[in-house]
Amino acid sequence: MSTQAPIRTWAPPAPVEKSVGQSIPRKEDGRLLKGQGMFADDVWMHRMGYVHFVRSPHAHAAILDVDVSKALQVDGVHATLTGEEVRRLTDRYPQIAPEPGGRLKDYCLAVGKVRFAGEPVAAVMAETRELARDAAGLVDVEYAPLPVVTDATEAATDGAPILHTEIGSNVGWNGLYDFGDVDWALEHSDHVVRIPHLHFHRFSSTPLECNAAVVNWDAGTGVIRIESNNQMPQFAALFIAPALGVRTDQLQFNSQDIGGAFGLKLTNYTNITALALLSRKANRPAKWTEYRSEHLVGSCHGNERTFRDIEVPVMADGQILGFKVKVYDDVGAYMRYEPLGGVIFSQVLPGCYRFQHLQVDYHTVLTNKTPIGPNRGYSRLQHLWLVERIVDIAATQLGLDPVAVRRRNYVKADEFPYETPNGCLYDSGDYEASLDRALELIDYEGWRERQRAAAGSGKRIGIGIGSTLDSGTNNFGQARLINKNLPYSGNGEAAICKLDLQGEISVALGSVPQGQGHETTTAQVVADALGVTPDEVWVQAGADSARNSYTAFSGTYASQFAVTGIGAALGAARQVREDIVAVAACVLECAPEEVLVVGGIASVGGDEERALTFAEIANLVHANVGALPPDVADAVTLNRRFVYRPPFGVPDWRTKSGHLTLTYASQIHVCVVEIDDETGVTTVLDYAIVDECGTPINPQIIEGQVHGAAAHGIAAVLQETLEYDEAGQLLNGTFWDYHVLTCPDTPMFKTDNLPRPSPFTPTGSKGMGEGGGGPLHAVCSALQDALGPTVVVTDSHNPIERVWRLLHAPSPADRGGATVESR
Amino acid sequence: MLLPSFEYERPDTIEEAVLLLSTNRNARVLAGGQTLLNALKLRIVRPDVLVDVSRIPELHAIERTADGSLAIGAATTYDEIAGSQVVRDMHPVVASMTSRIVDRQVRARGTIGGNVCLADPTSNFPPLLVALGARLRVRAAQAREVDAEAFFFAPYMTAVREGELLETVVLPPLRADEGLGYESLQVGTDSWALARACAVVRCNGTISEARVALGCGPVPVRQPSVEQALIGCEPTAEAIGAAAALAGDGFDPPADVHASAEFRVQMAKAMARRAVLAAVQGRS
Amino acid sequence: MGDSAHPITVTVNGERHERVVMGRQLLVHFLRETLGLRGTHIGCDSGNCGACTVICDGKAIKSCMQLAVQADGREVETVEGLAGPADPPTRLQAAFTRHHGVQCGYCTPGFLMSATALLQERPSLSREEIRRGLKGNVCRCTGYVNIVLAVEDAAQGGERP
Repeated sequence: MSTQAPIRTWAPPAPVEKSVGQSIPRKEDGRLLKGQGMFADDVWMHRMGYVHFVRSPHAHAAILDVDVSKALQVDGVHATLTGEEVRRLTDRYPQIAPEPGGRLKDYCLAVGKVRFAGEPVAAVMAETRELARDAAGLVDVEYAPLPVVTDATEAATDGAPILHTEIGSNVGWNGLYDFGDVDWALEHSDHVVRIPHLHFHRFSSTPLECNAAVVNWDAGTGVIRIESNNQMPQFAALFIAPALGVRTDQLQFNSQDIGGAFGLKLTNYTNITALALLSRKANRPAKWTEYRSEHLVGSCHGNERTFRDIEVPVMADGQILGFKVKVYDDVGAYMRYEPLGGVIFSQVLPGCYRFQHLQVDYHTVLTNKTPIGPNRGYSRLQHLWLVERIVDIAATQLGLDPVAVRRRNYVKADEFPYETPNGCLYDSGDYEASLDRALELIDYEGWRERQRAAAGSGKRIGIGIGSTLDSGTNNFGQARLINKNLPYSGNGEAAICKLDLQGEISVALGSVPQGQGHETTTAQVVADALGVTPDEVWVQAGADSARNSYTAFSGTYASQFAVTGIGAALGAARQVREDIVAVAACVLECAPEEVLVVGGIASVGGDEERALTFAEIANLVHANVGALPPDVADAVTLNRRFVYRPPFGVPDWRTKSGHLTLTYASQIHVCVVEIDDETGVTTVLDYAIVDECGTPINPQIIEGQVHGAAAHGIAAVLQETLEYDEAGQLLNGTFWDYHVLTCPDTPMFKTDNLPRPSPFTPTGSKGMGEGGGGPLHAVCSALQDALGPTVVVTDSHNPIERVWRLLHAPSPADRGGATVESR
Repeated sequence: MLLPSFEYERPDTIEEAVLLLSTNRNARVLAGGQTLLNALKLRIVRPDVLVDVSRIPELHAIERTADGSLAIGAATTYDEIAGSQVVRDMHPVVASMTSRIVDRQVRARGTIGGNVCLADPTSNFPPLLVALGARLRVRAAQAREVDAEAFFFAPYMTAVREGELLETVVLPPLRADEGLGYESLQVGTDSWALARACAVVRCNGTISEARVALGCGPVPVRQPSVEQALIGCEPTAEAIGAAAALAGDGFDPPADVHASAEFRVQMAKAMARRAVLAAVQGRS
Repeated sequence: MGDSAHPITVTVNGERHERVVMGRQLLVHFLRETLGLRGTHIGCDSGNCGACTVICDGKAIKSCMQLAVQADGREVETVEGLAGPADPPTRLQAAFTRHHGVQCGYCTPGFLMSATALLQERPSLSREEIRRGLKGNVCRCTGYVNIVLAVEDAAQGGERP
């Protein structure tokens, strides 16, 4: 090797610009924009039959008889399935709750009894969709109706109709969270604000694509191939496998593109189980695509939560010491993923605030309504709304400036990492700086002036603040705070990174993306680790459990990909880089530290004579391995599986405390609304959001998530709700009656991002997709601001008539929504 | 999402259509299908025969008649109505209202006849037709004309009998001193209506004639109390407000998941006030 | 009560198809299942979401609110007709990428067809007209902001989007 310096025509590989932090265009877009995506209903399998579910019209009834004989006589019907068969063929699903709640019996079809209107009772599989639908209409089910209970506080009392007699009551779980000494605080504070009742309503993110699956139970291999849009297949596997009595790896899940999920495609394991049984019975693949009206009544909803007897100790200077509350969480007819909601809220127990004295008496209550799923913001959303209402109402009742009250009580920037009374660690943030920026974006002072000018004009203006957190990367050990016997703790996500035969960089993730851009952000992080551009990194589209690697926690949910998925991909990429360096150092006869990995080339300080391309390195390891020394050949694989494991231990079930989530993204929302006095119509005039989610990987993707979460929030607070009558009938179960927010009614949000890198995560990034429901908090605050202190906004849902009533015909509960006792 | 089975026919003329409707016991008219297809998906209706009239040319005609009325074929789409110069000239409020029905996709196919014959409480045209005093031409073997006020019997029930076809909607012209106001309270832009009122007001210094109809009830209803209170008034905000506060004659709106009956009644008064005001302000 | 079968001729993305369809088959199922064009999606069962939007004789319509037999003699354009897999994206598609107007992609074909028809009819539009013009298409991921920006961007150019 010459060390002379002749005239060179080859330049050392130029450093590749870092991709993390840039808004590069998404890799997913190419196929999606051209209609070449593959969604679950696009999947076709040879000989497949179409499935239609027969659903209960009653909210609560004994099943006396299910007669499928007429359906079976129809030419072209392949098979039917009834609850009785399911009871014989499967074990009930495992339950998360401890006794007595854990005695609940849950199957993929109703067994013996139906407990919500829309519950599947039988299934028919036939040659065509139309035939399955028509034949399902011939199934005769005889019911004996039972009394119905739809209100959670009623359902929790003695004498209410009981859904699951094995439990003995409708309280699936209850627990007391008690930190500091709230009774002491209430005795010694300058004021006590009492709020008898707050209510967070039931709604759903309604992903545009409904649940769908094609399931084939192969008669030869026993493999159950599941082409579906389930968003957490390994969680599903932990329910399906025991129910069917099969091995985990008999269940092969695959999805490529999923049309949104928002937490609502976790519990479709029930449908998948039924399809598997039908497939085995008929010896052909079983395909099912949910109708929208089926989805609205038959899949899952977000938690509906009632808060009672709230007491808030407040000092004269506006410091809020904490609060006390009784909670009734309405989870519908079955606990699936519930009662985890009963601990997950405690990840954000004090919200954004430095409250020290907190008591939450929590009840998970079963009612004759659609079961709950972990809808976007799951359980934290409801609790954060409570906390913001408390702050907002206390400020309104005590005549305190809402901005000043928040400044007074926010966790301060220099207090991070901040430990909450229940042992959670808020990693980083600056809520005050975010609030300042949001107020600036909206021209807060300008709007206050316009508000004054509008007085008496027939339209009144309200300005509201919503502070919210998006806690991400769960410690699954918090399940033990619900049930100490559950053998779960920590978290982890897997990824595989490899150099393929020709040196191409390829990554397979454990996540199950539904539009969050994982292919893109992963490529950015891996590209930086390997010194290439994202175009040179191929990320496998979708999630295939037979091809990709996974852990028990794999999936896409709960705002964690930027930590867990990225952490896994980064870890695997770094190990591949080590392999590259090891081969280069060996072949190029240098020390590993001298190897420069840039632009797909490993060289000694950029020396053309002493360089190997990725293709050459891959060739040596995969196809030319005799040319490597044995010790190097044994040590390198260029195919690395890495599991990112956040530094969690096991939380303490006795004290209900611990390190429950790794990261805490935040969003501060400020909104301006205008209420038409005559009608109650509320229009959003201006809206600003400042989000903080650690080190940004792709700022445009982050902003897109912020927009989407905000749209969901605006929709829920102003027009989306799921309402039941006393007979347990869903009154608005189609998109005709469930008023989904459309483009002209969605504000053009003004946003900014103020990063505060997390000290705990591989890239300093935080998960942030769920958002935290900021508009629910901010719009309620704005309505409160417009209405003043004589009525209280006590409900998270404020459609036209509700606002009109608050203005013109407030009920005693609205007027007595808060009382103040001062010393 | 899947329709029940039926036989589909597409006649080329009105006569053929009427023959099909009258010889099949359980036949239904298909025009734009923007509500019928939903009813079929939900299996609320199960016709044996669908008679597709959407391409019959005579049913798309828009013309000014000899007596100065505006005649619109029943299968004319919302787009065709909103885009018609004749409609814009004769009834700009009708053109404007039609251009805001639901969304562009629905307007490309939905028809005035479909809207009128559906007669859902939230249908856009019925209160307009009653306020204007429109006439509806119904075809069987012969044609007959029905006044709008006698056309709507109950939700989803109109004067069109089995075997008949709505052929034309005839809107009387507005006189030079008349204005038309149409106001809705909607859940979101161009969306589901909770309350609706339509007013035709004739005013020369004082109001001399008024026709006010409320929608969003079982059927559109005239408001004689409001109308009588308006006559002789100067068109001030106070006078109009006082008259509109009397709205509610024969108005029995439903209570449902979207709004209570009480709220709908209050909002009917508000919409009546706004419709009269708009009518007064919109006179040419 | 029986099904009727009807021969139809329909041009889809410039290609002529002669098929026999059942009277009750919806146009969206004809496109997806008979012709195998799976880019057009189904998001609801009441004609409210617009995911199934295609262009028929120059107008955006909801293909789930139309019988296949009603497309007889008509020209239909679906998302696959905007640009083939190997083709460069249209200006509108490129604008969607530039502005991050796609997340899960399920509503995207419907929006592209709606916006294409909108811009063909009204090449110069205000923001409010765009927002109102997209009323018939639901998105649950993006919050619409970036979709509006993408359509605004595509509208600048003036020619076929």
